Amino acid sequence: MTGNHRLIPLRALALAALYAVAANAQAADADVYRETYPRVAIDPAKGVAGADAADFGATLQYWQDEKSLEQNSQWIGDLEHEWKLNWKFLDLDRSDDMHPGYLALEKGEKLFKFWAKREPSFRTCLGEGKTDLKGLAASYPKYDPKLKKIMTVESRVEHCAQTALWENFKQGSPANNQISLYFKSLSAYTPIKVDTGSAEIMASYQRGEKLFYAKVGQYNFSCASCHTSSGLLGQRFRGQVPTSPFGDAAHFPTYRTGLGDIESLQQRFMRCNMQARTKALPPGDPAYTDLEVFYTVLSNDYPVSVPSVR
Amino acid sequence: MRSIFGKGLAVVPLLLVAALAGCAAQPGKPTQAAGAGKASDFSEWPCLSITLPCGKIPNRKPVKQALAGALNGDAARGKVLANERSKGNCVACHQIQGAEQPGSKGPDLTTYGTWGRSDEETYALVYDMRWRNPDTVMPPAGINQVLNDQELRDVIAFLQSSK
Repeated sequence: MTGNHRLIPLRALALAALYAVAANAQAADADVYRETYPRVAIDPAKGVAGADAADFGATLQYWQDEKSLEQNSQWIGDLEHEWKLNWKFLDLDRSDDMHPGYLALEKGEKLFKFWAKREPSFRTCLGEGKTDLKGLAASYPKYDPKLKKIMTVESRVEHCAQTALWENFKQGSPANNQISLYFKSLSAYTPIKVDTGSAEIMASYQRGEKLFYAKVGQYNFSCASCHTSSGLLGQRFRGQVPTSPFGDAAHFPTYRTGLGDIESLQQRFMRCNMQARTKALPPGDPAYTDLEVFYTVLSNDYPVSVPSVR
Repeated sequence: MRSIFGKGLAVVPLLLVAALAGCAAQPGKPTQAAGAGKASDFSEWPCLSITLPCGKIPNRKPVKQALAGALNGDAARGKVLANERSKGNCVACHQIQGAEQPGSKGPDLTTYGTWGRSDEETYALVYDMRWRNPDTVMPPAGINQVLNDQELRDVIAFLQSSK
């Protein structure tokens, strides 16, 4: 607090610099030809309920709760219909009593407890002052007014490891993924609540929404090319069928059978990008953080389902 | 919760493993599949970044490319290219002759040769579909260098021979 008066001119300078950069970027962007996939109206206030829109396959009715999944369980293994379940039958303990997601969770719990015992401030940093971490991860990504940044579960773990432990648990590293998975599992069954009332979150959401429709890479694909009904959603795309982006953020970080490892949501973005012959960005990249905010708002009100397997 | 999706579904992960193993066994890892087959991180194409140079790269504008001279394509080579994941990968979205696990988004092309489309039109559409449909999801294989000129000619010859 004591240094606050000295920070103000710095802030003013930083703001001025930001405006200058923004003005430049606008001037430069004006003559750059960029294509976007046709946009679809999404109401961020609806959260996961927006998945009932025909533009996204109208699949919510099949996977929104246990009863719906149970009623349509005959579709499992049927290529024609399985995609309508949005793979939600693999969430938490629905798929198997002991899938490898639990092994990853065990590792994460051990790692977290080891460090939290050695340095209790690691726990309070993750909890932003609280020692009970239950339910906290359900409100991520969130804006942190102290750090003046949008924080994801993974960037929080990285930040706390740096500040409390002097350890480098970089986003995307095994240690970060394991602790993030453990932290998020402490919110299992808690409905996701990204704060759409926050101006910073909504600015990030809007940037992320724009990225969702941006055509990129050698294939000139956007996220929407695969994940809207006018594109490949619900269509066979080789042996797979792209599904709705709604509800998807709820099960990350998740155990990927094909990888034999945990994967964070942003690592999933990386693989999506590479498969569409697009430069993959490092986990924690501001663009991926915006995309994660957009994706997680589309999971609002849907329960966290960690650990899961895909 | 456990009761609904418990033991009865223990086969599902196994099926998944089999399906994913099948995918992994496909040739042409994406990181090795760019341009003329050399390794690439795709940074020469537009990307989602707001900080890296690729975030400022423009999309290539739609073109209606003219076919120079006679087609001179090899249908047998074209069939391989169209079915090859690291090359044309037409099969990802289209039913074509020789297809395994074809996609369902694009039209069935197994009898394309009976449609009465000219070589010129077909070449221009595979080169870049956007001049006809700006919102297409079909990758512009020509302008974005997924296939070179001869490979395009081979694919067109394959399509025209599909009867």
